[in-house]
Amino acid sequence: MGEEKKMAKPVKRKASKRDKKDWLAGYIFIAPVTIGLVIFYVVPFIQNFWFSFNDVNKFNVATFVGLANFKQLFQEPDLLLAMKNTLIYAIVTVPIGLGLSLLVASLLNSKIKGTSFYRTIYFLPSVTMSVAVALVWKLIFHSEYGIFNAMIEALGGQGKSWLTTPSTALGCVMIVAIWGSVGYNMIILLAGMQGISKSYYEAAAIDGAGPGTIFFKITIPLLSPTIFFVIITGMIGAFQVFDSIYMMIDPTTNPAFNEVKTMNVLFYQNAFMYGYKGYAAAISIFMFAIIMIITVIQMIGQKKWVNYD
Amino acid sequence: MKKNLKRLAALGLTAVMGAAVLTGCGGGSSSGGSSSSGGKESKDGKVELTMAVWDSDQEPVMQEMAAAYTKEHPNVTVKTQLTTWTEYWTKLEASAMGNSSADIITMNVLHVEEYADAGILMDLTDAEKESDLKASENFPAPLLNGYTVDGKLYGIPKDFDTNAIFYNKEIFDNAKVEYPKDGMTFEEFRKVCEDLDAAGLPEGTYPVPVNRNSSQTTYYASVYANDGYILNEDNTEAGWDDPKTIEGIQPWLDLVLDGLSPSLEQMANTDPDSMFQGGQVAMYLSGNYMIPSYNKTMEGKYGIVSRPTFNGKNTDIINGLAFSVSAFTEHPEEAVDFALWLGSKEAQTIQAEAGVVISARNDCQDIYVGTHPDLNLQVFLDNVENAELLPHCKVTSELAQVEKTYLEQAWMDEITLEEACKKIKTEEDAILEKMNAK
Repeated sequence: MGEEKKMAKPVKRKASKRDKKDWLAGYIFIAPVTIGLVIFYVVPFIQNFWFSFNDVNKFNVATFVGLANFKQLFQEPDLLLAMKNTLIYAIVTVPIGLGLSLLVASLLNSKIKGTSFYRTIYFLPSVTMSVAVALVWKLIFHSEYGIFNAMIEALGGQGKSWLTTPSTALGCVMIVAIWGSVGYNMIILLAGMQGISKSYYEAAAIDGAGPGTIFFKITIPLLSPTIFFVIITGMIGAFQVFDSIYMMIDPTTNPAFNEVKTMNVLFYQNAFMYGYKGYAAAISIFMFAIIMIITVIQMIGQKKWVNYD
Repeated sequence: MKKNLKRLAALGLTAVMGAAVLTGCGGGSSSGGSSSSGGKESKDGKVELTMAVWDSDQEPVMQEMAAAYTKEHPNVTVKTQLTTWTEYWTKLEASAMGNSSADIITMNVLHVEEYADAGILMDLTDAEKESDLKASENFPAPLLNGYTVDGKLYGIPKDFDTNAIFYNKEIFDNAKVEYPKDGMTFEEFRKVCEDLDAAGLPEGTYPVPVNRNSSQTTYYASVYANDGYILNEDNTEAGWDDPKTIEGIQPWLDLVLDGLSPSLEQMANTDPDSMFQGGQVAMYLSGNYMIPSYNKTMEGKYGIVSRPTFNGKNTDIINGLAFSVSAFTEHPEEAVDFALWLGSKEAQTIQAEAGVVISARNDCQDIYVGTHPDLNLQVFLDNVENAELLPHCKVTSELAQVEKTYLEQAWMDEITLEEACKKIKTEEDAILEKMNAK
């Protein structure tokens, strides 16, 4: 904080040669990242924005068509379905994922043996290739050889073809998403928890607070900036879900594919399966707007519950 | 505190921005696609050509052909660029316009029209006329037609594939059912399936898988044999609702509905190809290009007989690849010369002897038959004269999604085939109209 204050009010004076030299060094240091960002983020973003007003064929030849792509988007028969699926996905996976990560993080924050072992285990899904994860889960949910069905049948239930049934396919993908997100979120939450001063807990213990009270009255409020971060990034990630669906629900052979379509799958289908890249660009701009609005709402809403002191 | 808030807000916004870019990146920027080097020319006049291929089984043969060419033309070397099938077209799309694609492009019938229209492929008509290739004499007509767009030749036929019944001998032996025979009628074929079923196959084993998306190996051929059609000649109308088309598909679908084939869901969980190799289906209709794969897992344990005839005709679907030349190549002369050479007897003999694919050239087809003496490969050649090309147009993949949506419902017995075909017809006609309006 102290340093920032100094920077916030710089003493006004002419920059000396030495200052300029320092700045130059600074610019050189940030150049690799900046150039990378400009080439791989800013330029494609602008190009994509431009493409959304064009008819772009498979080979990236663009013809200006004004708002035609957006007009088509609002007549898209699958748009509502895709938005509904995306919303369900986000609303289910983010809170449950957060709850589980909080639980695991607080368990690992206590004094038990082998915490680093457990941390590694829980973090493993985050460092595993998503393709490999999807394939393994596909086998788990397999209708004939999957252990999921084997377990259900062992308990006397009736197994089914989970990934090809439209009503259960999205649920399977969500289970994988939650499983995969717990480790990463846990690490972030754990870092936040360890930044909370022990003196609060000691004081609370002296005052006779139980573990529940301590968790809800001390840990959660003091952790709220971290929780907020996890929710924001989780939401953005959820709205962009694609790879796990694409890997687990095959677009050419799985009869459930059309029913589990999310916004990003709709985008992929138009851009890379059909070659309507201009229209796909419009879909992605639409998604950008939605994610932006939701994030702004969260930014405003956070004033009510996020505690930065 | 305020500072912290601002910082977090900035972080959040950056994340949103990043989010949009991630999705946007694919929206058409070519920066995402990896670019590949075109031809390189060094000071001593040596030319290096690149050739894009997707089949790792075929890459060694392509390299062998390239080496033979270099022997005759020491100043030209050719490097193969392998991209897996799933990424091949995406990568080619991205690199084609940036003229960073390979000089020689392996092309298939489904894509040639689109690429020719976009001006990505070089017109080889004149070069072929001036050469001694004599394409019209030396290659099967359906293949040449497939690579001729608006009267211009865009590819030198490389190979072709036709289809047959592959059967697992062990399953037939265990069930004590006679092996299928060449030239069965569809009714006889169905009888074999019923016999297998009646003989009591082990649980989870089926007579034959008929998948919704197996049109190339199963129902397209019978649609044509029955005088039905999928797309009309000038690609303006779909033929799905034609009663003759429906009659050609129904008997195949009946195999599924009567339980002689695994269900659509089972085939979505395990693809029929794996089922065949895993001994879960007694027969499988497949193309000759699968032989190298099957030989890895079940060499000697399977046999091949010709497809069942339909309506008295042994129509089959032919599909084949060709060598095309990029319109943006830096070495047009060398690239065209190499492409033409790839159609020569010398080149196609090298290809045929490897036994991976059937060389397109008429005088090299027989070589293939001898490459796997234990298999009756002649059936693949017998089909050529009665073969039809896969139906194709510029929006093939979009039509495929329509077909998927409704045929799946018929495959799961939710609607009748007739209802499905009517819906397909309506939606496809709309798509075709849009395509033709452009």
